[in-house]
Amino acid sequence: MNGRRLAFALALAALAAPFVLEGNRFLAFVFGIVMINLLWASGMNLLYGFVGLMPLMFAGIAGIAAYAMVALTREAGWSFWLATPVAAVGAALVGVLLGLPSLRLKGFYFTLCSLVIQTVLTLAFTFFPRFTNGDTGLNQIAPPDGWGGVPLAGVWFDATLALVATLGVLLSAWIVQTRLGQRFIAIREDDVLAEVMGIDVVRNRIIAFAIVSIYAAVGGCFYASYVGFVSPRSFDVLTSLGIWLCVAFGGRGTIIGPIIGTVILAPIPYLLQELQAFKDVLSGVLIIVVTLVMPAGIYGEIMRRRALRTAVALRAQAAGDPAGATATPAVAAMPGTVDAGVAR
Amino acid sequence: MSLLEVKGISKHFGGVAALRNVDVQMTSGETLGMIGPNGSGKTTFVNIVTGHLVPDSGQLLFNEGSIAGTAPHRLAALGLTRTYQAVRVFGGLSVGKNIEAAMLLGLPGAPESAERNELVHWLRLDHRLASLAGSLTLFEQRRLELLMRLLQRPQLIMLDEPVGGLAVTEVREMIALLHELKARCSIFVIEHTMRVIRELADRVVVLMAGEKIADGPPADILRDRRVVEQYLGTTHA
Ligand SMILES: Nc1ncnc2c1ncn2[C@@H]1O[C@H](COP(=O)(O)OP(=O)(O)O)[C@@H](O)[C@H]1O
Ligand SMILES: [Mg+2]
Repeated sequence: MNGRRLAFALALAALAAPFVLEGNRFLAFVFGIVMINLLWASGMNLLYGFVGLMPLMFAGIAGIAAYAMVALTREAGWSFWLATPVAAVGAALVGVLLGLPSLRLKGFYFTLCSLVIQTVLTLAFTFFPRFTNGDTGLNQIAPPDGWGGVPLAGVWFDATLALVATLGVLLSAWIVQTRLGQRFIAIREDDVLAEVMGIDVVRNRIIAFAIVSIYAAVGGCFYASYVGFVSPRSFDVLTSLGIWLCVAFGGRGTIIGPIIGTVILAPIPYLLQELQAFKDVLSGVLIIVVTLVMPAGIYGEIMRRRALRTAVALRAQAAGDPAGATATPAVAAMPGTVDAGVAR
Repeated sequence: MSLLEVKGISKHFGGVAALRNVDVQMTSGETLGMIGPNGSGKTTFVNIVTGHLVPDSGQLLFNEGSIAGTAPHRLAALGLTRTYQAVRVFGGLSVGKNIEAAMLLGLPGAPESAERNELVHWLRLDHRLASLAGSLTLFEQRRLELLMRLLQRPQLIMLDEPVGGLAVTEVREMIALLHELKARCSIFVIEHTMRVIRELADRVVVLMAGEKIADGPPADILRDRRVVEQYLGTTHA
């Protein structure tokens, strides 16, 4: 498969979709939400899929940035396009600071610590209403300003989200094949060995954390201005889990996996609005399926089967042809290895 | 020149004294063996020297500079590295990717591709580059461990029971490889079996319940009655 061509086709589809969906405001809105989730998922994937840490405070960091962006635009009169980068850098710093105590932890312990941080953030959003308006939330958040002072709206807002999501995915694909990305993968595979091989594990985790916080933050700012309303529930642990599920269900540690997961899962809450209870049951079932049946996600499972078929074919070939008996056995594509599906 | 100097190292785990006031010196080019029964503190010693554990007291000098409190990744850059008693490679990545990971250290003067290929060939891993490291045999994984260290041009490599778990013929091959390894770096080797030590080491340190009880050439150590009684008498050497 030609990764570059696939990436190009997907990017084109994402950028064209808003214009195709222009006639149906509801579907266009769901598309915009999917794009924001795609940005979030590709960020979460960098940490979960490539460094091997599950950050449940992801939504909390998005929330900090969203509230900061609203405060900067409303109270200081800044443009969205200035407030967002500033809020993103600020949220990344806060994210790294909050994450510092947990960065020496790994696996389950890191996740637990990030859950505590997320809970504290949710409480803070609720009980310090100066910037958040508490449980009532903030409404009528203005959209970003577009060309010539006209607020960004409709199809152009959707297209902007598609562009931001595309850039986010491409950036993550680029990061994972740099030396930094290779260090991330080594840390994910075995952090003790990575350290002995000369990789500064804590430092690289901090870098990963900063990058991921920026993804969370930028997504948070766009979410607030796109939906026009945020409350502590917009950025609670369920939001983090939803983004995590997009990554895990699609295929962590691959670039295409989170795209598949997000496109399938992110629209569900909106399309099943009438069936609130069913929606929660469904995500519960999916979490179980991902954990027990498909730990590598849809894309990981596809790659595994493909590798199996290749191995079987090679063996058959070797059996029929003694000269081929020494052929190198096919590499089983392990779930989550970088080879599996990184667009190149 | 003194390569490694360990002075008065002690380490307790709760009530257990894993190491008691241990001194060890090594000069550049020397091959130093360490023997002792299970639980005598050999692995703890390597863990302390390579920055995995902090000693309760004592001094650590590498190339005459203190390395106390230095993180393992810094030590790797300084040329001090180790292997593990239980083999440790990036099992979910291919052998080729393991090699790339070792090259990430990016030291000036890191091996160019010709030298890299020569090392791969010497360790007989050429035909395995595309295989998952976790699918290799134990012996192959141990050779990959050596390869990954050598790509980082260590001055001192500390091997924790490099022939543990290998079949008899493989042990012989491994000893031959380690002999050739001496030309590339200084070796500190923990072994359980006397045979490896006798064939490889210039000098041997004997640990017993966390204490150094002997230090000298293998032939002398084997003649030492205390060692023979307490160590060789209780284990199958
Ligand atoms: N991380 C640890 N925590 C607690 N006790 C330990 C730890 N590492 C080693 N020990 C104890 O220290 C002693 C020495 O162990 P070790 O250095 O592994 O011995 P050896 O490698 O010679 O077999 C043993 O009693 C062991 O149980
Ligand atoms: Mg040991």
